[in-house]
This record gives sequence, structure tokens and C-alpha cells, in this order.
Amino acid sequence: MKKINIAILSAATALFLVGCGGTPDAGEAISYSKTPKEVYDQSCKKCHGDKGEGNVKKKSPALNDRQSQELELDLYDVKNGGLNQSSGTDHDVMEHNMQKLIQKGYDYDPKAMAEFLEKSFYKNGVKAAPKVEETPAEVPTTTETATDANATVAAPAEEAKPQ
Amino acid sequence: MEHKELDRMVEIIDHEIKKQGISRRDAMKMAAAGSAAFMMGGTSASAATTAHAGDVKGKILIVGGGLAGISTAARLTNTLSNPDITVVEPTDTSVSYQPGQTLVGAGLWQKSDITYQTKDFVPSGVKMIKDKVVEFNPDNNKVKLASGKEIAYDFMIVAAGVMLDFGKINGLEGVITSSGENSSARKIVGKNGISSIYFADGAVDTWANMQKFIEDAKGGKKVKGVFTHPNTPIKCGGAPKKIMYLTDARLREAGARENADLTFYPNGSKMFGVTEYHNAITRQFEDRNMQWNYRHNLISVDSAKKTATFNRHWKEKGPWDEDLEEYSIVMNSKEVEVPYDFLHITPPMKAPDEIAKSPIGSAKGWVPVTKETLQHIKYPNVFSLGDIAAVPMGKTGGSARKQYKVVVENLISQANGKELKSKYAGYTVCPLITSIGTVMLAEFNWTKKPTPSFPFDPTQERWMWWLLKYYALKPMTVYGMLSGRA
Repeated sequence: MKKINIAILSAATALFLVGCGGTPDAGEAISYSKTPKEVYDQSCKKCHGDKGEGNVKKKSPALNDRQSQELELDLYDVKNGGLNQSSGTDHDVMEHNMQKLIQKGYDYDPKAMAEFLEKSFYKNGVKAAPKVEETPAEVPTTTETATDANATVAAPAEEAKPQ
Repeated sequence: MEHKELDRMVEIIDHEIKKQGISRRDAMKMAAAGSAAFMMGGTSASAATTAHAGDVKGKILIVGGGLAGISTAARLTNTLSNPDITVVEPTDTSVSYQPGQTLVGAGLWQKSDITYQTKDFVPSGVKMIKDKVVEFNPDNNKVKLASGKEIAYDFMIVAAGVMLDFGKINGLEGVITSSGENSSARKIVGKNGISSIYFADGAVDTWANMQKFIEDAKGGKKVKGVFTHPNTPIKCGGAPKKIMYLTDARLREAGARENADLTFYPNGSKMFGVTEYHNAITRQFEDRNMQWNYRHNLISVDSAKKTATFNRHWKEKGPWDEDLEEYSIVMNSKEVEVPYDFLHITPPMKAPDEIAKSPIGSAKGWVPVTKETLQHIKYPNVFSLGDIAAVPMGKTGGSARKQYKVVVENLISQANGKELKSKYAGYTVCPLITSIGTVMLAEFNWTKKPTPSFPFDPTQERWMWWLLKYYALKPMTVYGMLSGRA
């Protein structure tokens, strides 16, 4: 038994000298028939509102109070039925609805949809994390948001703070 | 480890080796090579961090000195010339090997096998402060400690852990950490069959409770084992099942399995988010006559009556929804009381309040980061990794092993005004212990497909992964990761 230990420990020791290889796995490419805006305008809007403000009566949560990275986690949860092995989902009802909506052609990429929602509706824009070498956060383009008195435009990307 | 298990393991190994027609010597070589490939391979960061990637001037503050925090500190130390790094951590044994708590709970390891002193792993030049951050002021790049002291930083890495919220369950108390102070929770958890391997002392108590449970079954009593899984994200999503598999194995070893009912009560409605692993686990449960009841969330424990109360919830067809153009779905629920002799609780978990409610927190508590770069969504000089970071499916040492390299690379890029190129792909690993001597090595990422490091069917239970789990992962983690190298 000692031999096993030695064999494995020596392998482990050998690892100290090597780094970590591999390339990022981008995952499978899925194409969607509609843009996030089309999906939102044709479907999501009915319950989540013209400006993502939500609908208490329909128990549809607001989508205008979070930035894209947080929204993406929720959308990911909605489409995948939970983020943990057996914890279940925070979105039981929407998970069911989402499957129906996918059948009707309203599928979307969670990241693209989250970015669309933030860009169009996010109302607490304080400052956005800078996206180096990308264009700064754009001024909302949809007409709905442009007329939204509550919408404060997300501040342009700040410069990287300390250098 | 007791000799009985050693002997049994050797027996299993020899049996497997014979089946495959190879010598034990060759098998050991394979296991060693496999382990090496496991630590090196994978699907996330390229290791391109080099000394030439740029340096970081300014003060780096790391909040939390567990596996994630110390590994990050070590890699920064290895990579940067003369870095200024401070780690704030309140617990002396924060780097203890938590994945071993399952094995302690089943009496296969001792607590001393998993307890490590953080001071032994602090990289040279890194300043450790035994304290806790109680206030975050990211707009001014400052934090305040419990002692009242303020620390200013140029970069902050939030690597704090989760809180085990036993107090959220009626009849229990305490919001504790895995290796920190736990007297509040231990008033009830650990006694009279109520067990939890999610903290180190709880794992020790679990083994005591399990032995009593097995003795009762051996004596002819019909006994019930109940295993829970809460409705929050948890660390090590497999542990609630692993301790059940090991209870099954211990009962079989004692020849008392037929007197015990073992039932898993998860809040969710599946065993695993990855279909292939879900199917493998349900098959393994069936093979072992282990039961499960989905959609049960533990809400109350009566330690005197020995009953656990669950919120059982389900979906029902509701009225026609014109917007959806379908019948709507409504949730319904009721309380269900379940008697137990042995109750394994996986507590609800949450972010510490001082983080959750601070400007760097979020509505759900976890620190919101761009899930690929691990950069805070609001504060570009703040990064987060490990259990506290809001990324899907993470909260394992295996996730942290991929994440800390990404954080180090991206922090250096950020400091040098470069694009954050290192991406975390969501890799995590669950070495699911399915018996004493077998493990299913469930590796996956955000594609929700198995991402095996080895050219074997990843849904099979294998003794080789047991060797990996039992012998190799701890030294690799403790000496490889904590030194920032593996």
C-alpha cells in the first residue's frame, strides 16, 4: 500500500513543476432565429413590461434592476433548471414557460439577451466595468428607453482605475 | 484509516486489475499518470501567465484566506516581482482540506488528516491579518476591519467563503463556517442522529452518529436514514449524495443494509444538471436500493421527536394565460413530516451579510462578476473567485483551481491596461464517491456536457478515481494549489 502512496505522491510532486495547459472551451455554437430585441418585443414584453419593469399581478419580476452579468445568471438558470446539482431553481414557473416559448421560436442566448436588457432598460446605471478594446457602453438605442424618464444612461466605461 | 478498509480496497483494486489483465505495477503507473493529467489538463485558463506579462504596482488586498485566497496570493507572489499583498482571514485553519470532510464523516479519515494551519501556507512576503472585513467601501478603495482598522487597496480580490445557515431551519441554530467557531450550530447538530459533514467538527460527529445508526440496524432495528439538499446554491453539490453512498457502504459492510431505509430529499427535481451524470446517479441509486423524493426542502427539525419537516412543492396547471398562449403553471406546496434515526443535513448557504449587503454584493448576496473574467461588474479593480463569486455551478475546490489562475492573469492585464484575455469556462469537478473504493469523476462546465480529462466513459464508477480522491487530490490541493502551481 505504501507503494501506491509513493507512486501517486511522486506524480503529484512532478506537478509542482508544470503549469496548466488547455484552451478555453467556448461551448457549442447555437444559432438563434430571432435577435434578443425581437424575442423581447414579441414575447417577453407581454409579461415583463415595455421597459422591463415587471408586472406584480402576473408575478413577473422586473428586469431593469440588474446588470447583464447578473441577469445572465438568472436567464441561464431559467433555461437550465438550476445552477447546482439538486438545489432546484429559483424560477420554477418561468423554467416551464421557457420550454414552451422555445417551442414557439422565442429562444435566445442568455448572454446576448442579458446584454440587450441592460443596454435597453437598466435604470441604476452607476458605472459599468470597462470593456477594454471594445466600444464604451452605448446610449440606449430603442425608442422605448429613450423616452423613459427613469432611465439613466450607464456611465461610459471608466478608465482602468489604479495603474 | 482502519485496516479493514485498506484490505477491502486492496481487494477491490486487485480484482479490478485482474479483470483488466494488467499488473498492479502498471495500474499504479496509470493512476499516477492519470492524476498528473488531471491536474494539468482541463478546459479553462491557459497557463500563459509569465513573468513578462507585466507587473503590478500598488497594494493588493485579498479578502479571505481559504484555498482560493491563499492559492491566489501564492500565484501572484510567484508571478510578480516584489508584490504588496495583504490577506485578511479570521480563522487559523482556513486552508483545511474541506473535500475530506466526507471521508471523515464516514470514518475513513480522521479530522487531523484534513486540518491544516494557514500560517504554514502563507507565501513569503505576504502579510496576513487575522481579522475580518466588516465594511466595504469600493468607491474609495477601502475596507474596514472588525478591529476598526482601515485598509486601502489598489486591487481587491474577494475570496471569502459561504456561511452555513443552520439557523434558517426551525429547531436549529447558528450561522457558521466550515472550520471556524461553531458552538451555536453544535448545540443540536451532531447529537441524536442529527449530522452534517459541511463543517469539520460536524463531520466527526457524523461518524459517531453513523456508527450508532449502523449498530441499531445490526441489532435488528428497522432504521431510517434521511439525507437533505437545500434550495440554495451549495458548495460541493455532490457531498449530500456522497455521504449517503458511504452510509450505504458502511451498512453493507456491517451486513445490516436490509434493516435500513435510505432516502434522499433534495429541493430540486434532478440528481445532477448534466443529463449523463443524472442518469448514471439514478441508476446507481436504484442498484443500491437507495430512495429519493424530489422537491422537498427541509424547513424544520424536531430533535426530541426525531422528525424532519419538509416543504414539498410541485407545479400545477393553472388558468389559461393569454400572453403565453398556454395554460399557466402555478406552484403549490404542503408540509411533510418525515421520521428519521439518522438525519444528514446539508444546510442552506448564503454569502456573509457584510459582503452581501455591501456595494460589492448583490440581491442574492454573491459577489457579481463577469463569469468568464471574474472581474466585478461594477468595480474594475475588484475580482472575486471561489465560493463567494456569483458564477453558475461553481463552489468547489476544482472550480477554484481553475479560477485563481484566471484572476491572477486578468488582474495583471487590468493593472497594465490590457484586455482581460483569460477566461473561465465554468469547469468544475465532482469526484462522486459511490462506495468505499469507487468514485465517478463528474467533470463538466457551462456547456452542461461532461468534459472528462481522461479518455474513459465519465459516467462509470471506477476504483482509479477512488485512488485519485483518496490519495492524490489532497496532496495536490494542499501542496500544489496552495503554492500557486497546480
